[in-house]
Amino acid sequence: MSEAVKVVDDVAFEDLLANPYPVFKRVRDLGPVVKVEAANIMMVTRFDDIIAIERDPETFSSINPQSLLNTVIGPNLMRKDGDDHARERAAMDPSLRPGVVKRCWADPMRAICDDVISQIEHRGEAELFDELAAPIAARALADILGFDDVDWRTMALWSQSLIDGSGNYSHNPEIARKAREAANGVESAVDRMLPHHRDNPNPSMLSSMLQADPPQTVEQIYANIKVAIGGGLNETRDSILTLILGLLQNPDQLARVRAEPSLWGPAFEEAVRWISPIGMYPRRLTRDMEISGTLVRKGEQVGLCVGAANHDDRRFSDPEKFDIFREEKSHLAFGAGSHFCAGTWVSRALVSQIAVPTVFERLRNLRLKNPDHIRIRGWVFRGPTHMPVVWDA
Amino acid sequence: MPKIRFLLTDGAELAVEAQSGRTLMETALENSVPGIIAECNGSAACATCHVVLPENIMSALGPISEHENDMLDFAEAPREPGSRLSCQIKVSDALDNVSVRIPAA
Ligand code: HEM
Ligand code: FES
Repeated sequence: MSEAVKVVDDVAFEDLLANPYPVFKRVRDLGPVVKVEAANIMMVTRFDDIIAIERDPETFSSINPQSLLNTVIGPNLMRKDGDDHARERAAMDPSLRPGVVKRCWADPMRAICDDVISQIEHRGEAELFDELAAPIAARALADILGFDDVDWRTMALWSQSLIDGSGNYSHNPEIARKAREAANGVESAVDRMLPHHRDNPNPSMLSSMLQADPPQTVEQIYANIKVAIGGGLNETRDSILTLILGLLQNPDQLARVRAEPSLWGPAFEEAVRWISPIGMYPRRLTRDMEISGTLVRKGEQVGLCVGAANHDDRRFSDPEKFDIFREEKSHLAFGAGSHFCAGTWVSRALVSQIAVPTVFERLRNLRLKNPDHIRIRGWVFRGPTHMPVVWDA
Repeated sequence: MPKIRFLLTDGAELAVEAQSGRTLMETALENSVPGIIAECNGSAACATCHVVLPENIMSALGPISEHENDMLDFAEAPREPGSRLSCQIKVSDALDNVSVRIPAA
């Protein structure tokens, strides 16, 4: 006999935004699928269940033409499956493969980090969200996409406006207007750049999309460039801050990483497991299906809470601890299955090989300005929102 | 049905009956072969399904795509001449009785 979906109705939306992990734990212990009223979604929170779901895309589909994401940015690869998805994915991958990242993007990314740090280095004090992580993430992304005339603040504004628009379930007109403005801005930037990339094939994403076989239509390019802007800026920014935070709060681990640079990789994976930049993404059922004994009906949507799975104590001991030496086990911060994050290799290189090592190299004796007042927020997207630090200038 | 011999990182061998047409990665998952994680479920995006094959059967498996070739350089275990992503290989008679080694990271 299958169980019915349990319901949690005494959690406030603000509880989720402030700190979703206690809610995730309660929901994970309650059942495999639990409807959380405040978020109006059925949450799947256990590691093994999410893996099983991601191995069955025919039942747990990403296709959802009516989704807000499609309304805001147009039909895009995140809401497609099968060959339609694979073709659009293959059109961007040539810009994002690990070897291409190393050969083509590592040097420009290093130059960006050096430039951003040079602007604050002499001061001995900075707020790392606005003065370091956001500009690095935005400028690196602009290079990879192939935009040469969009400043980082515009990139950041577009990214936030598109994200807010895709989550605008209350149909707030101001949020909808900003999302439209951002979409128009991205489309104009693409229009300005396409002739250049058509005439000069290069490793950027715009160029890869034009070189793809068959070449992507302008509508596909608009939509998937918007996906990359909405999905490739905040996550990188947040993981830069999270990795810095984890190391500053654990000076013994910081000392070990600095002495042994091969530990930067595991340290980054631990940071995105510890505070996953994307906490949840949806799938829609194409038929009735039991998830570990709980029946979910065809047409329903489930939220795969990878943030919760990354704290599943059946898999990770003391999950709330930042520990770069924990037994190596794969996590779900980049998702799983065919939609496994396309930017995984870019973010690994940028954050763990370039940005954060350079920060600790150049900002000597870096420390948190207010160790007792760390602001971290969000549940679908989560990260430090404000991080004042000081160092010996 | 071809028989595949998975050589595990601890030296043990796990011989399994494989269905032609499935991928080597799917065969490994169905038989809980340790060391094949396959995060991206066969999309050649994660490089966590790395295996090493005997060099003399490489040519029978057809060419490696540019994408797989790039990915193999970044798998956790160092690349070897017989390295492949197991999700990009379809089981066929060419693999009958072949040893498929899971490389240690
Ligand atoms: C630490 C940084 C990052 C994290 C944690 C992250 C996380 C994720 C997750 C969880 C997904 C799966 C969403 C789903 O299945 O619905 C995803 C997809 C995606 N990400 Fe990332 N991401 C990061 C950085 C980036 C960067 C830098 C880029 C672009 C350069 C990027 C581009 C994409 C794209 C295009 C997809 C959609 C892939 C598809 O549908 O096939 N991401 N990301
Ligand atoms: S399963 Fe991810 S690369 Fe083969």
